[in-house]
Amino acid sequence: MNTPLTEEHTAPAAAPVEDSHAGINVKPSQRKHAIADLAQQAGGKTVGVVSVDDPIMSAKGVNVYYGDKHAIREVSLDIGRNQVISMIGPSGCGKSTFLRCLNRMNDTIEGARVTGSITMEGRDIYDRRQDVVQLRARVGMVFQKPNPFPKSIYENVSYGPRIHGLASDRVEMDEIVQTSLQRAGLWEEVKDRLLQPGTSLSGGQQQRLCIARAIAIDPEVILMDEPCSALDPIATARIEDLIDELRASYAICIVTHSMQQAARVSQRTAYFHLGDLIEVGETDRIFTNPRHKLTEDYITGRFG
Amino acid sequence: MSKGVRTAELVEKGLKRRYRAEWMFQAYGIAAVSLGIIFVLFLFYSVISKGYTSFAQTYVQLEIQYDEQIIDPEGARDIETLRMADYMSLVRTSLKDMFPQVEGRANLRKLYELVSSNAPFRLQNRVMDDPALLGTTQKVWVLAGDEVDQFMKGQITADEEESTRPLNDQQLAWIGVLEQRGVIEKRFNTEFFTNGDSREPEQAGVAGAAMGSFFTLIVTLLLSFPIGVASAVYLEEFAPRNRWTDLIEVNINNLAAVPSIVFGLLGLAVFINFFGLPRSAPLVGGLVLTLMTLPTIIIASRASLKAVPPSIREAALGMGASQIQMVAHHVLPLAMPGMLTGTIIGMARALGESAPLLMIGMVAFIVDVPQAITDPSTALPVQIYLWADSPERAFVERTSGAIMVLLLFLLLMNGLAVILRNRFERRW
Repeated sequence: MNTPLTEEHTAPAAAPVEDSHAGINVKPSQRKHAIADLAQQAGGKTVGVVSVDDPIMSAKGVNVYYGDKHAIREVSLDIGRNQVISMIGPSGCGKSTFLRCLNRMNDTIEGARVTGSITMEGRDIYDRRQDVVQLRARVGMVFQKPNPFPKSIYENVSYGPRIHGLASDRVEMDEIVQTSLQRAGLWEEVKDRLLQPGTSLSGGQQQRLCIARAIAIDPEVILMDEPCSALDPIATARIEDLIDELRASYAICIVTHSMQQAARVSQRTAYFHLGDLIEVGETDRIFTNPRHKLTEDYITGRFG
Repeated sequence: MSKGVRTAELVEKGLKRRYRAEWMFQAYGIAAVSLGIIFVLFLFYSVISKGYTSFAQTYVQLEIQYDEQIIDPEGARDIETLRMADYMSLVRTSLKDMFPQVEGRANLRKLYELVSSNAPFRLQNRVMDDPALLGTTQKVWVLAGDEVDQFMKGQITADEEESTRPLNDQQLAWIGVLEQRGVIEKRFNTEFFTNGDSREPEQAGVAGAAMGSFFTLIVTLLLSFPIGVASAVYLEEFAPRNRWTDLIEVNINNLAAVPSIVFGLLGLAVFINFFGLPRSAPLVGGLVLTLMTLPTIIIASRASLKAVPPSIREAALGMGASQIQMVAHHVLPLAMPGMLTGTIIGMARALGESAPLLMIGMVAFIVDVPQAITDPSTALPVQIYLWADSPERAFVERTSGAIMVLLLFLLLMNGLAVILRNRFERRW
C-alpha cells in the first residue's frame, strides 16, 4: 500500500531567506543558515546507495508527522540481513523516529502519523491486516535507558516467550532463559541469582539483560536506540562485542550519537539531518570519504 | 581578581538576610506543625476525657423472687406465658423489699428509676432460658438507671442544686445505702459493644451502628474499587484523547468536589424512589458512598498510573505485549500501591460521612443490630450525630465513646492500608 505523497514534501520546505552560500567556515551566527541551505539542497534526495540485495526490511518514501511537525521526510532505506546498520546524526534529526517506525512503536505516540511504506519480507507492516503484536515479536527493541521490568531476572527474560507461548513447559522455558542470557553474555554473572530483581544489576548488566530479553523471543531484527548512552566505556565495549556476535543471527539497526561506535560496530551507516536521510553507505566509505557536505561536516565534528 | 573579591563581599553582605529568610521559613513550618499537633492533642484529650467513662457501666444487684404466682400461676410453663409474664412487678417488689419504708406513688416511681427499664427483660430472658428458676430467689445484677450511672461516675454530684439535679436528695440517699450494702458497682461495659441504639442511654450501644458502617463500607469497597480502578485504567491507558474524554475528565474532577449531601439526594431519587431499594439499608448507603468515593479513587488511580515510568510501558510493548498485557502485567502491579492508598483515603472519607446517609434514611432510630446489607441500620457518624442530639446527660459520654470507636475503625483501616501497600511494594 503506497500512500500517495502529501503536498508537504513535494513542495520545497520553506522559502530560503538568506542568499549567503558561504561554506561552514563562517561565523556561528551565519552557520545555521548555511546548514539549513545545505539541507535544502538535499531535499529528500539521499546520497549513496539506500538499497541492498534481499533486504529483510525496506522503507520507501517514509514521512512521519508528530501533529503538525514533519519529523522525517521521504526516507527510503533498506535493512540488510545479518548486518548492522547504524544511524547517526545530530539530536532531533529523526533517526530514533525512523527506528521506531520499524516496529511501529510510533503508534503509541499521540498524534503520530506515518506515510509511505515499510515492508518486512515483502509485506507492508503498516497494512491493516498486520498485527502489531506479531510485528514486535519479529522486530525486537532495546532502549536507550536500560529498562528491565521490576521483576526477577528470570521473569524478565521469560516474559516474551511466555506471552507469545514459545515454551510449552518449565524445562523448555529454563532453556530459553539460559540460552538467551548466555548469548547476551550475562549468564555467568547472574546464574546464581536468577530470582533477584533485574533492577538490582548494574547499568551495563541491565542493558545486557534487556538484550537477552529481546533475543529470548528470537526476533529477526533488533532495533537499538542508543543502547550505550547511559553506560561507561567498559560496559559499552561489552555491548559492542555482543552486537558484533549477534549480527550472525539477526539484522541489527542501531541509533548512536557516538561516531566511533558507529564505525566500530556497523557495516552500513545512514546519516540523518533535520528529518532528511542525507547519506547512506558502507560504514568505511562514509567515515573515510563522505560525499555530502553535511555528512563530512558532521563526522569531522564541525557541528552537531 | 578584584571582581572576584567584590562578588564575595556582596555575597557576604546578603548572607545574613538569606539565613534569616531560611530561619523564618523553618519557624513558620514548625509553628504550623505544632499548631496542628496541639489541635489534634486537644481533640484527643477532649474526646477521650469525655468518652472513657462510657466503657464502664453501673450495675445494681437485686434479690429477685421468681414468684410462680406472678409468672406462671397455672404452672403450664408454656413459652407464651413465660414471655408475657409481669416481670416488672418482680423488679419493683425486690426494690420495695430493699427499701420498705418508701411510700407513696411519686416516691416509689423515684425508687424504680434506680434501675434500668430493661431489668424486666433480663429477668424474662433468664426465666425463658431456665424455667427451673421459678419459685427460687436469686441475686441478679441488672443495669442501673442512666442517672444513677452518671452519679456513680461523678458526672452528677451532690453539690448541684436539687431542683436542677436529675436525682433528688432521697435518691442519692438510696444510692448511698446501696453502696454501703455493696450491691451497686461499676463494671466493664460489654453492652456498649453488643447493643444497638436505645432511647435509654444505659442500654444504648454502638454495635448496630458499627455493623451498619461495616456493611455499608463493604458494599462501597466492593463496588468502588473495581469500578474506580477499571475506569482509571480505561481512561488512562485505552481511551482516545478527544473532546469526550476531556469532558469526562473535567466532570470526574468536579464530582470529587460535589457536596456529599447531593449524592444522598441522588441516592434517594434513584436507588430508593426509582429502583425501590429498601430505605435505611446499608446496601443503599454503600451505593451512595460509592458514587461519592468513585471520583477520589479514579483521580488517585489515574495519578498513580501516570506515575508508572513510560520506559516500562515501552519495554513491554517492545516485547510484543498487547496493550492489555502491558497494563495487566506491568503497569497495574506498579500502580497498585498508589491505587490502594487512594482507595483507603476514599473509604476513610466514606466511613466518616453522615450527610448522604441522612438523606437515604440511615438516620432512623434502629434498635436491632443489622445482620445483612438490606436490614435497616445506621452508621457510626450518624449514631454520633443522633446521640449528640439527645437531651440525656448520659449520652454525652456515649457520644464521645462512639467517636473513639469510629477513630479506632479509621486507625485499623489506615493500618491495613499500610500493610497492604508494603506487601505490594515488596512483591514487585
